[in-house]
Amino acid sequence: MASVNAQIKRGSAELAVLTLLAEHPLHGYEIAKQIEEQTGGVLRFDMASLYPMLHRLERKSWVKAEWQTLPNGRRRRCYRLTASGRKQIAPLRAQWRAFFQALQSVTGFQNA
Amino acid sequence: MPDWKQIVHKNFRVLGICSPELTEELAAHLEDSYEGLLCEGLPAEVALQNTIGQIEGRCRVWLVMRFLQEELMAGFIREAALPGLLTSAAAGFFYWALALDHISPKVLWLVGGQSPLWWWCLLPIWGALGALLSRRNGGSRLQRIAASLLPSAILGTLILLIFVVGFTLSGLVNHYQLVSGRLESLGLVPPGFVVMPAALSLLGAGIAEVSTKKFRTLRTRA
Repeated sequence: MASVNAQIKRGSAELAVLTLLAEHPLHGYEIAKQIEEQTGGVLRFDMASLYPMLHRLERKSWVKAEWQTLPNGRRRRCYRLTASGRKQIAPLRAQWRAFFQALQSVTGFQNA
Repeated sequence: MPDWKQIVHKNFRVLGICSPELTEELAAHLEDSYEGLLCEGLPAEVALQNTIGQIEGRCRVWLVMRFLQEELMAGFIREAALPGLLTSAAAGFFYWALALDHISPKVLWLVGGQSPLWWWCLLPIWGALGALLSRRNGGSRLQRIAASLLPSAILGTLILLIFVVGFTLSGLVNHYQLVSGRLESLGLVPPGFVVMPAALSLLGAGIAEVSTKKFRTLRTRA
């Protein structure tokens, strides 16, 4: 499996997380796990990447975190997308689409 | 089951980055991660090592650095840069006002040149002022340090820029004496005009920090 450069990973992380949270609230471990599973392990967020980013998104008010008690009695800090965060998804997607189209026009690769 | 909170707390007791809430959140991640590895069929010992490996060694350094970076940059303008710039402006204005009145202060000779004695005496006050303004705006400990050090950082950047320009010009004229003179100064000026002022500013910030804490304690008791 091809590995992805750290800079590209970092740039795409916000979009990936916001898109996941648009479906339903998740806690940190679930976010990391789902991204890893859905990308076949190409995108993998360790704790050092994930939590500072989640807290940054929280400060920007794009996500809101709340402590929830799970059925097994454990407490987890769940993140859900705010209205402001939802508005960011479309522009971020547009930016990434433009980026890939530009790359495609230079390198000639199809459907990455 | 290991005490994950204890493990997180032990590993991240650095610069106070780990609040009880963050400790609990990271501990929860480790707990889930450990159980996930057990479900994948790993022996308990290996699962434990893999899980703890996420917050040890290089990973630990990265995590601490990322949080420090985030904390420093969050509200940097309001909580660190603005108090720091106000402090720098106050220091600059004071210097200019005294020069305008032809007050000739006593001069302190130092490596790399000279500067007025009162300027050195005032540095801890500017440092304290920067830290207090930052605290007033809700700055964290790291941001308060940054605010108190900003004047020295600005001075340091200016000196480095001057050296870069100087080196470039020296290179253009290809004059050995100029280059060697600048190399010599590079070793002398930054310690005298950047590191020492920074240390004094930091001293002021430290005094402000301790005084504020004591004042709060007294007020709480009263």
